[in-house]
Amino acid sequence: MAYTRKDVSRLTSAEKRRFVNAMLEVKRRGQYDEFVRLHIEYYTSDGEDGLRAAHMTPSFLPWHRRFLLELEKALRRVDSSVSVPYWDWTRDRTAASAPWTADLLGGNGRITDHRVTTGPFAYAAGHWTIKEGVTDGKFLTRDLGRARDPIALPTRGELESALAERVYDVSPWDSTVTRGFRNKLEGWGTGRGSVAWRNHNRVHRWVGGAMLGGASVNDPVFWLHHAFVDLQWTRWQARHKGARYLPAKPPGVGDEQHGRIVARHEKMPPWDVTPDQMEDVSRIYRYV
Amino acid sequence: MVVSAGGVAVGAEGEPTRAGTRREMLRGLLAPAMALALAPVVAASRPASVEPRPGEEAFDETYHGRRIQGFKTATTAMAAHGAVGEHWQVTVDGRPLHLMRRADGTWLSMVDHYRSYPTPLAAARAAVDEMGPGEHLRDMAPGPVSGEQTDMGGHLHMGGDHGVYA
Repeated sequence: MAYTRKDVSRLTSAEKRRFVNAMLEVKRRGQYDEFVRLHIEYYTSDGEDGLRAAHMTPSFLPWHRRFLLELEKALRRVDSSVSVPYWDWTRDRTAASAPWTADLLGGNGRITDHRVTTGPFAYAAGHWTIKEGVTDGKFLTRDLGRARDPIALPTRGELESALAERVYDVSPWDSTVTRGFRNKLEGWGTGRGSVAWRNHNRVHRWVGGAMLGGASVNDPVFWLHHAFVDLQWTRWQARHKGARYLPAKPPGVGDEQHGRIVARHEKMPPWDVTPDQMEDVSRIYRYV
Repeated sequence: MVVSAGGVAVGAEGEPTRAGTRREMLRGLLAPAMALALAPVVAASRPASVEPRPGEEAFDETYHGRRIQGFKTATTAMAAHGAVGEHWQVTVDGRPLHLMRRADGTWLSMVDHYRSYPTPLAAARAAVDEMGPGEHLRDMAPGPVSGEQTDMGGHLHMGGDHGVYA
């Protein structure tokens, strides 16, 4: 029986409490920091040689889908009623809206050092000490909207420009492609200035602080953001019937991308699972 | 190349090991004991000079009260990828700032991972812009040594691969 993932703005008080408690317990058990490390470890850039499983790559979506399932599994071992909610940043667009409330993720960081001081993940609450950060700061940081140099969350129109793409991804399958659903959603642009960073990337930048860096998983909003990104994949599939994950076959030996990306039926490290196996997860969960 | 040695020694996935990826870097940092054992190999594989030589590209400046230094350490034989193959060592107040290169030749740093900058210097300045007062870079993933790291991977490998999500 599939469970549901809900819009975070529609969670009941009890659902919020149970989600927060499960997160804190996974953190207390030391498992959460493993997720932070794993995400750092698999961030290989496309200007480097090496297999790109997680970013700047077709498997951006199935890799993160599987990553979320692993976290959700850890949460559900604590409380089987819990799932990862999604944050629809085309609707909840301010620092005062969901999910930035004191009964869920807490609010913005303070001006001086971006330290989050409200909610269950505030350092002073004692349950959320950063252990795998990019810096030596022990507290969660945020800079919602980027006070020093403001940016806005992606608009519905920007998201629509990704959903309208008819193909999943195109050669050379990296951060430089200007067509295809995957990179339009992942959000690597060309050119200069903040307009060059779209959708997924832009949300990381809007949240700022921990979410901006390699250890972005330290902010629990990482999961809510990626659940919404994951939902877009489902929506895209529904709109473009029969469109599949690409590439279907690995690039050949002479191709510059040979051995650097994951084709449809190849395994996605660190897991023993293929993008093909992640394309339809409707029997595990569905979005409501 | 030491990173290859590290990958082989620690990695259990059996994927091809390539130099210079985040995974190998992490493995090195996560395995102090092993790193020590491999120290001679590291030394041997490093460019002969760790200081910028005349004519080499480098920067050294104070930016918003922080000292940022960087120099090009190598241009490797990956010229086939165009811009790829240039390596920089960058520090902020003496602590390493890991940079990665995009296929279009721009740079992103560990502090600022969801956009890129035209040069290593621009990426370093942007990293400083994001750092709070009194905040310092630290070596990534301190703490567990290689054994636990492998267990960590094992934990996340576990469960779900066989049956649940397959």
